[in-house]
Amino acid sequence: MKSLSLYEDKQSFLNGLTPGCKAFYIIAALVIPAMLGNKLISIGFIVLSILLLTQSKVIRRTLPILAVSGFVLITVIIIQGLFRAGNETVVLDLGPVAFYKEGLIFAADIAINVLNIIFAFCVLVLTTKPSDIIESMVSRGFSPRIGYVFVSLFQLIPQMTERMSTITDAQRSRGMETEGSLLIRMKAFIPLISPVIMSSFIDTKERAIALEVRGFNSKEKKSFLNVFHANAASRPIYWILLIATVASVVWKLVMMFA
Amino acid sequence: MNTIEIKNLHFSYNAGEEILKGLNLTIDERSTAIIGQNGAGKTTFVKLLKGLLRPTEGQILFNGQDISKQTVATLAKDIGLIFQNPNDQIFKNTVLDEVMFGPMQIGMSKDKAKEVALKALDMVGLKGTEKINPYDLGLSERKMVSIAAIVAMDTKVVIFDEPTIAQDYMGKKRIQAIMKELQRQHKIVISILHDMDFVAETFDRAIVFAKGDALLDGDVKSVFKEKDILEKAYLEQPYTMQLCYELGYKEAFLNPEDFVAYKKANQ
Repeated sequence: MKSLSLYEDKQSFLNGLTPGCKAFYIIAALVIPAMLGNKLISIGFIVLSILLLTQSKVIRRTLPILAVSGFVLITVIIIQGLFRAGNETVVLDLGPVAFYKEGLIFAADIAINVLNIIFAFCVLVLTTKPSDIIESMVSRGFSPRIGYVFVSLFQLIPQMTERMSTITDAQRSRGMETEGSLLIRMKAFIPLISPVIMSSFIDTKERAIALEVRGFNSKEKKSFLNVFHANAASRPIYWILLIATVASVVWKLVMMFA
Repeated sequence: MNTIEIKNLHFSYNAGEEILKGLNLTIDERSTAIIGQNGAGKTTFVKLLKGLLRPTEGQILFNGQDISKQTVATLAKDIGLIFQNPNDQIFKNTVLDEVMFGPMQIGMSKDKAKEVALKALDMVGLKGTEKINPYDLGLSERKMVSIAAIVAMDTKVVIFDEPTIAQDYMGKKRIQAIMKELQRQHKIVISILHDMDFVAETFDRAIVFAKGDALLDGDVKSVFKEKDILEKAYLEQPYTMQLCYELGYKEAFLNPEDFVAYKKANQ
């Protein structure tokens, strides 16, 4: 079964940090530059994230994500560079069209923010098992029910994709064309989607019963199957990030009221 | 006489990992059971017969015609495949509509489709359930709906994938009767099975799949006699045969009736 997760177990420094520590890295990477209002800090976080991802040997996995967002960012740069209200200073004249400094700076601001968000999330997503993230949250008091919903998504979606392929085969076997014109595809929609939905309902009901009979709703204190062996650096890094984030917020408040 | 000829059939999902390795077989109107451990290539083989997969090498000829020239939908007129899980195909609100779907897809008129659907429902023992939503039926009955849905299409070949799953004794007897009736109508009946007793009681021929090839092929009795080869394919003999060997009989008995007949003849 194909996995929905982007996680890769590379036994790296990032793999060894607790999910909570990496989640807090995302918060720090977003909050600190926003509070201090300095793009150089955002760039610093981008560089730091790239270095961490490179050290963890997962930097290649960011390329498909960057390719998708890169297309949007290029569009933003072109539109803002050409048409942003307040554009005055031409930096690139291409005959009928001209790029303006003001629009390009604005687009660069957006691009830096987006890249910072993407790389910060990659630090968590590419080096943390989804189940570890959820278990870490549940062990800190997050609802096990909601936790299960998130974990099961990582199993259900690939399962449904596989089942969709079997259902398509079953209907084609009964003489139904599933490929061709839009009309043919529209006619195939109900015979294909109905068994997926009905099977999902049946599976969901059976999973719920199977969970219940294994004491899912028990009020007893639960123990966890996977014990996460965190890197010793997790705790100090977490505290450094927490202190830096709180300090940036305090600084922002002081500057507002000063 | 309907025949399927399989010539040097190779198939792989991924390069370098062959699932079928040069299979050569001729399937005729003798009812044929395909047996073998999980992962032996049985389901891949029937999907190839149905045209759902294309061979990486080799040919499948149905009555002399290469099936790779036809789409799955056009092949549906000739070759029917009953999937293991009935929930993979059922989508109509009533049993009758579900069974009529296939016949109407292959060009039968509404009246003709209704006629063949009612006949098929009678054959699988679901007469009287026409207006019921299939999902209000139990799993074994839903399996019968999926069998009726293919039987109603009146194809020359009917392939069953694990038909006895979720069936009780009566259900198995019903499926056995359906297979016998289809065979009587000169259709090719092929089935993937793990229930060796059912194979022994129902089929003329058994093909043992192992590692993408046919390890054994012959009439059911001769195949089940090969205890050592069966063990290599992680299969066991039917219980009656096992019991009689343990009791010291040299003869091979496929089922209790065989054994009783032998005892009566030798009293």
